[in-house]
Amino acid sequence: MINVDALTKTFKNVQALDSLSFQAKDGEITGLLGPNGAGKTTCLRIIYGLLQADTGKAEIEGVDANQNPIDARRNLGIFPDKFGLYERLTVREQVAYFAGLHGLTGSKQKQAVEQVIEKLDIKELADRRTAGFSQGQRMKVALAQALVHSPKHLILDEPSRGLDVMSTRILRDVLREQRAQGTCILFSSHVMQEVAALCDRVVVMANGKVAAEGTPQELCDMTGEPQLEDAFVKIIGTDEGIAA
Amino acid sequence: MSALTSVWKKEFRDAIRDKRSVLAAMSYAFFGPLLMAVAFFFLITQLTDKADIEITIEGEENAPQLVDFLNERGVVQKQGEWAKTETPIVLTLPENWQESVRKAEPVEVTLRADWSAQKQQTDIKRVEQAVQAYSSQIAAYRLTLRGVDPRVIQPVQLQKQDLATRGSKAALIMGSVLVFIILSVFWSGMNVAIDISAGERERNSLEFLLSQPLSTWDIVTGKALTATTFSLFGAILSLVLIPIIFAYVPLHEIGMNVNFSVGMMALMFILLVPLALFATALQLFVSFRAKNFKEAQTYISFLLIIPMAASFGVEFARLKNPILYYLPLTGQHQAFLSLIRGENVNVMGTVISAIATLAAALLLMKYIARMLKSEKIVFGL
Repeated sequence: MINVDALTKTFKNVQALDSLSFQAKDGEITGLLGPNGAGKTTCLRIIYGLLQADTGKAEIEGVDANQNPIDARRNLGIFPDKFGLYERLTVREQVAYFAGLHGLTGSKQKQAVEQVIEKLDIKELADRRTAGFSQGQRMKVALAQALVHSPKHLILDEPSRGLDVMSTRILRDVLREQRAQGTCILFSSHVMQEVAALCDRVVVMANGKVAAEGTPQELCDMTGEPQLEDAFVKIIGTDEGIAA
Repeated sequence: MSALTSVWKKEFRDAIRDKRSVLAAMSYAFFGPLLMAVAFFFLITQLTDKADIEITIEGEENAPQLVDFLNERGVVQKQGEWAKTETPIVLTLPENWQESVRKAEPVEVTLRADWSAQKQQTDIKRVEQAVQAYSSQIAAYRLTLRGVDPRVIQPVQLQKQDLATRGSKAALIMGSVLVFIILSVFWSGMNVAIDISAGERERNSLEFLLSQPLSTWDIVTGKALTATTFSLFGAILSLVLIPIIFAYVPLHEIGMNVNFSVGMMALMFILLVPLALFATALQLFVSFRAKNFKEAQTYISFLLIIPMAASFGVEFARLKNPILYYLPLTGQHQAFLSLIRGENVNVMGTVISAIATLAAALLLMKYIARMLKSEKIVFGL
């Protein structure tokens, strides 16, 4: 479980997060929905301990990444905002590297890498260097890196950005599969369809605060709109920075 | 520890597949000594050069004996035209030469040249000396003929003694070679150091790496060890190639002999190990702050001035201060100088400077590890 409690973060004069609180439960996909600049990436970076919160705390299974980043990250798979690949390494080498950083060695590492390659169906890519990969192929590699150590928590920052339909479907399938295994999944998006199609719960963010929270249906009921998109616009009061 | 070795292994594999990095590490070690050898080759031929001086001699037929004498001394009649950029050096022998010499009267010989021309000065001087020498020779004959000891007109004889010994000449040339060896650890790992820091940021993989469950110290150490490995590889290459290449430079012609023993090379290599780590730490420190590869390269070229200034400065300013033995960089340099001169190495100073270098490197790495926890540095916020 990921527990975000009254997070506040200020960059110079910009209030990025304003006492943000929500929870992402195990076996559920929680969508962090908000327009560009709502503070989604900042929030996720605080959860995995790359940014320090001014006040409040974010805990993964009770461990605060701001206090103890290494322990907090052990059970965490991350699909970051920017995922650059090491273009001189093959997919297998790359995935194995991150498995190694998570403490998997020897035959355990080999097995984990094989499994995740199998799971994402990237066998034919596995021994190619990643230079020149398409966006969809790069996404799969990044996903493999995030999943190789079978984390109990998964954080994805706008994972479907720049993906075509096929790749998006694969991504969704993988996330659903992970959910079925009881993984706690938190992902940010500004794409309505994706959130509606995938999420069990939606946390709508605007200006660093939670504007509304609930299942997609609850949000629609709350605002009296039949479409999640309209509900979303009503909640944040503007349609700026949202993709349908 | 396993995270550290993971980083090291991965970075090493990554770097060794980067042709630019490998080439950079090798080319300095390879072409550097070669270039230096070529430079010395020309320096030596110039120093030992006794080529004939070509001047225009007017009225050659008037004084064939003098012309013969000049030829013997390497001053000959110019065959081609004078270049436009040169002022001709012209020696005019008068028609009355034979008659005047017979009568033992002074003969006026004219030398026309541009004494301010820097390049021609040695030539002009040699012509002057040759004419003077001939004049003294005739004077000696004349005195002998008249039954006078020619030594009466040489009351003072100046003895010139050159104090430049073989060793000190060698030290001058070898001094620049030493600076070169020391710089090799700065050059050879440079490209790798930039690639694994600023490059990692530029490729957008830094954020993901930093959000893995390992300490920034492990990251920095793993990366530093990779770049250090390259830097030491370059150093080994330099150390091996320099004696080989210098075997072909005719150093003996200027009375120099250089001995690179295997033991000496090994000792030099050991002294270079902490320096390589220090060089890498400095480079990582700078390039982790840069936004991209290009920016880091710019900063690092400024950074290279430090070791160059330190070693060349000490070398050419002939600084002698005991503190130099104990500091990083200058300590290694002093030890190398002693080694090459065949003197006793200041053991105490060398050990202390090695420890100081290592300590400085580790402190710098600690600082980089802290830097990587700062959101300001990582995200440029």
